[in-house]
This record gives sequence, C-alpha cells and structure tokens, in this order.
Amino acid sequence: MSNVILDPRVAPPFPTAALPILRNAQLRKNVAHATGVIQSKRAKLVAEKTDWQDLRTAASAIRTHVLQNLGPYLEQFEARCTAAGGVVHWAADAAEARSIVLDILRQEQASEVIKIKTMTSAEIQLNPALEAAGIHAIETDLAELILQLGEDEPSHIVVPALHVNRSQVREIFARRMGIPDLSDDPQALTAAARAYLRQKFLSVPTAISGANFLVAETGSVAIVESEGNGRMCLTLPRTLITIAGIEKVLPRFQDLEVLLQLLARSATGERMSPYTSLWTGVTPGDGPQRFHIILLDNGRTSILGKKTEQQTLKCIRCAACQNACPVYLQTGGHAYGSVYGGPIGAILTPQLMQMEHAQSLPYASSLCGACYEVCPVKINIPEVLIDLRAKVVDRERAETDRLLDPMYLGMRIANNLFSSAGRFRAAQRLGRIALRAFTGKDGWIHALPGMGSRWTMTRDLRGLPSQTFREWWETRRKEGQ
Amino acid sequence: MSTSRTLILDRIRTATANAAPQDYAALPRTYLRKGTLDAEQRLALMIERLHEYGAEVAVCEPAQLPAVIAEQLAASGRHRFAVPPGLPQDWLPSGYDFQQDTGLSADALEQCEGVVTQSFAGVADSGTIVLHHSAAEGRRVLSLLPDWHLCILRTTQIVETLPEYFALCQQQPELATYISGPSATADIEMTRIKGVHGPRFLNVILVRDENPAEARSESFTTH
Repeated sequence: MSNVILDPRVAPPFPTAALPILRNAQLRKNVAHATGVIQSKRAKLVAEKTDWQDLRTAASAIRTHVLQNLGPYLEQFEARCTAAGGVVHWAADAAEARSIVLDILRQEQASEVIKIKTMTSAEIQLNPALEAAGIHAIETDLAELILQLGEDEPSHIVVPALHVNRSQVREIFARRMGIPDLSDDPQALTAAARAYLRQKFLSVPTAISGANFLVAETGSVAIVESEGNGRMCLTLPRTLITIAGIEKVLPRFQDLEVLLQLLARSATGERMSPYTSLWTGVTPGDGPQRFHIILLDNGRTSILGKKTEQQTLKCIRCAACQNACPVYLQTGGHAYGSVYGGPIGAILTPQLMQMEHAQSLPYASSLCGACYEVCPVKINIPEVLIDLRAKVVDRERAETDRLLDPMYLGMRIANNLFSSAGRFRAAQRLGRIALRAFTGKDGWIHALPGMGSRWTMTRDLRGLPSQTFREWWETRRKEGQ
Repeated sequence: MSTSRTLILDRIRTATANAAPQDYAALPRTYLRKGTLDAEQRLALMIERLHEYGAEVAVCEPAQLPAVIAEQLAASGRHRFAVPPGLPQDWLPSGYDFQQDTGLSADALEQCEGVVTQSFAGVADSGTIVLHHSAAEGRRVLSLLPDWHLCILRTTQIVETLPEYFALCQQQPELATYISGPSATADIEMTRIKGVHGPRFLNVILVRDENPAEARSESFTTH
C-alpha cells in the first residue's frame, strides 16, 4: 500500500515527498476531516477551562525545570523504580535501545510481543529489528493495527492512521483477517479488531510500551490511552518493557494534575482520555512481575544544551500543533519523512539527527505561529524553526561545493552591495535599468527569467520606482533652496 | 549498560552546567486548585459527565445500596460476576455466580460477564473514576477483562477538580487507574466507538453519604 519512508536518514526532502501527496485528493480529504474534528473538539474544551493559560504556564515551567535538573531527576527515578522491583536500562542511541530490547526478549524466549502504541519504538525502528530476529510484533492500538496490517506508516503522532478512511480500513481488515463480508461501519471494524486481538492479549507473555510520564519522586510510570489495549498490555503479560525518552520525567506525582488536564484536551479534545494507568516497578500479585524500562537518549542530550532549542524537549506529544498547522493540513504526516510529523516534527527530527539529516524540515512551515498558540507546554516552535534554518544555512555555506550555488552566490553579492552606500546606489540604478524590460505597463513584474521565475511563478513583483527615496529627498532639498 | 548510563548522565551534566534552575517550590501554580461547586452541584456535574460518556448512573442512600446493586445486576441480564476480595459480601444478592478474585486466572476472568468494584475517588470536572486497586477495588485486570463494570462511589469521595484529587492522596498510590468513560476509540474517521478492549459498559452507583468521617472509617475505606 505504501512506499512511504519514515527514516530521516534516507527520506526524500520535504518538498519532494510532499508533491505526490498534494495530488492525492483522498488522503488530503481524510487528513482535513480528522484534524478538523479534533480541532473543533479541542477548541470547545479549552474554552470552558477558565484557567487554561495558567495551566500552560505551570506546565511550561515544570517541564523547563525538569530539563534544567534532568540528571538528578533521572537518577532519582532510577533509584525509586529499582527499589520497587523495576530494572532500569540506559540507551545512548537507537541501536543500543534495540539491542537491549532484543536481549530481554531472548532471555524471555519470546517469539511474539504485544505492543502499545509508542513513538519511541517507532523512532528507534524497533519493529523491523524484531522481525529480523524472528520475533513477531503485534500492534494493539487500533490505528497502529490498521497500519501494520496495511503495511502503511503512521502519519500523525496521536491518531497515526488518520489518513486512512473507513473503506480503506475495511479492505485491509477483510483481506488480512479473512473476513470477506466485513462492513465498513466503524463499529463493525472496531469489533473485528477486538476479536482479532483478544486471544493475543490473553496468551502473549511479553509486552512493549512507551511512556507518557515518568515520576521521579516515586519511580512510577504513566500511560494515557483510550481503547484499553494499553491496560491489557500493562496487566496481563508476565514481562513488560517500556521505552521512554529521558525527557519524559516529572518531579512529583502531583505534577500530573497539570499535565493530565492539558494532555487529553490538546490531543483528542477530551477532558480526560478514557484510561490513564500508573504503575510503580512491580506489584506482587498485580500485573507483570518483570518490568524493564529503557531510558533513551538518541540525540536528546544534544538538544538539551542549546539555549533556544532546549524547549523542544518540553513536548508531551499531544500533536495539537499538527492539527493546527496549515502545512500539515495539506501534506499529512508522511511528507516529513519521520515518525514525528507536523511542526514539532519539523524541529525535533533534524535535531535528533544532529542536523545531519532532514534539513528541509525547518522550512516546512509558514511561521504563522498557530503551533505555538495551541502548544500546552508553550514551545515557541516558530522561534526554534528560525534558529534551525540559520543552522542549516550556516552548515551549507561552509561547504565548498556550495561556492557557486546561485543562492549563496547571490547572498554573497548582496552582502557586498549592502555593505557600501556607493555600491548600493549603483546597484539600484543598474537594477532599475535591468528590470525595465520585464516591468509591465501597470508597474508590476509578472514574469522573470531564470531563478527569478520561481518567485514570479506564483506572485507578481512590484517594479522598481523611477526614483529612490534618497533621490527624491535630494531633489526636494534642492527645490526648497 | 553502565557505560551508557555514565555517558548519558555526563552529557546531561555538560548540557545543563550553565542552567540557572528555578526552585521547584517557586514554580508558578496559578491554575485552579479548588472547585467552587457545593456538594449537590458537584454530584450533578459528575452525573452529567458520566452520562456524556454513555455510562449508566444510579444514585442511592447507603441503606438502599444492596437493593440497587441487585437491580443493576438483574437489568444487566448477566449471571457470572467477578468481585474483589474486599467487597462486602452482604451487599451482594443471591442467585448469581460471584467469583471472588483471590488470584483468578485471566481465562477465568474472561469467563466472567461483569465485575463489581468500589473506587477511591471521583473527579466531577472530567467524570473520572479513580481506582487505587485496594482490596475493595480489585487488581487492575479485574476491572478490565469483564465486559460490564459496576462501580460503586460514595458522594463524599467526589471532588470537583483533578488537583483536588491529588490533594486527597496523602500517599502516592503504587498503582492507579483513572477511568473516564468506557473504553473507546476514534481511530477510524474520528467516529467515537464505545468499547474496544476494556469493558464496553460502565455503570456507576453513587451512594449519598453526607457524613464523610463515618464513611472513611467503615468498610468503604480504601488504602
């Protein structure tokens, strides 16, 4: 079904990846419908919350405080979780995280594993590694199951299959579950998923999850979900492996009172998601008796030390910015070439790649600021986007093979002209003569040749006036004398 | 493993070396930490929210509780129910197959058509039922596998806002589940479908106990 590549190392640049999607009317319709529904539900619930801005301010401060004290809080989490019977692992990068998971699964002699939707697992490309090791991963979130059975890729952080409509889901389920007469009623499709997964929940002894929050004070982990597949994975198996980004930690249990009020409203337009689960290491007689948690760096520490970019790590993955983004609305998530799409993906992905890949993403934005406005933890995404654009430019212009790149050449010439009044005046005069041929009778330039055509392809350019301000001022002064 | 631990913590130390961290106690907390509704309004809001989720709600006096439980069980048309070990036996009517959970297997629980539990608290603002999984609330899996969940909540356990629930927790629970309506999904075209993997039916009995001191000392007490 899909030839989508969500690995930033090999994915095509955003404009290239976006082109075929822009021609896919069905996909764009699906994305517009889903984001429209979530946005209107969110707006209604945010409006009824009189202290919304206070909650945002508190959440932003808590998350910033955590990042500034990340080391001590992680060590505290580790100590408490270990004391409660959990095993804490540290993974510096994706490869190490994968190998820790595989080692545990080998010890468990696992041939199958049930999974709760987890962004970190997708980030480290865990499923292909599991399959390569002969371990079958079963996605239990409805949307993830649709994508897995349809051999498709996620296009949204919270609602990963929002680009697929009911008749497409029907086709996938009918084919892969062997139910030819399945109807396309969402109720029937959901019931089919329930039946398909029920036996797996009851029989597969190992589960993999992500985490919404880690609590340093208690060593507890929290997961927020809707379907109950999370609760199944968190309670029925013998062994649970949780993969969490190091930035997920909160100082205290009580801090959840802020984040939980913001998360569901921002993510799905609900006051609370149907199920929030909190557990602490291992509880005798209740749930998995072996609990492993992998604390994942994978580029996060390189973001932590940067003044403007650090705020990227405040993110709680609600995807409100995705739903609000006019660019995402047109392209959907696949164009971003990463599991993290939308505005947050545009800043997170290139940074996780240490700016080595995904350099087109900071430009995948109109800088309209809608993402900042809806962000529950007040990440100033436009500010980070601009900062990252500067970094991309700094890298590029340092490359010698860019010396003759027309854009950088043009910028160097502009730099030269703008730094001297005489050269600037001469350039204005020359420009006026050169552009005269392209300026229409109405005073507008409708078509430029060469590189300039990229501008005039979509917009007109006002022709240069016959006089500059300085020239006019000079004339006026002379006349006045 | 230990080398990566050192490596990551070193990277963090370097990255945060120049930070001037804000004191935790000084973090701004100007959001609402207390509700404004009185007990009746709080109860009304809780009922309204539960109804929005499609949950069924019954309100009763403490003395009526066994009768209301009997009504609910009869109306469910179900026969075999799981119950946590801490649920008072004298609340349960005769004529049903009650499976007391003293470590029932998942398969045995799967055979139960419903479950009856108590709860730790209710949050009216979001219609949330809080379980801390004490003996009267049951293990986590108990309120998960059976398709029909009858949950008993005392009205004095209802707070208006989420922060008030956290204020109620003198100790952090080791386990907690916050249930806001029955299991649901909107993954297909944002159409909300009730009942994916968790219980498809949530019934709540709200027991009016105007005297909180009394309530907390009786068998209702959760840890």
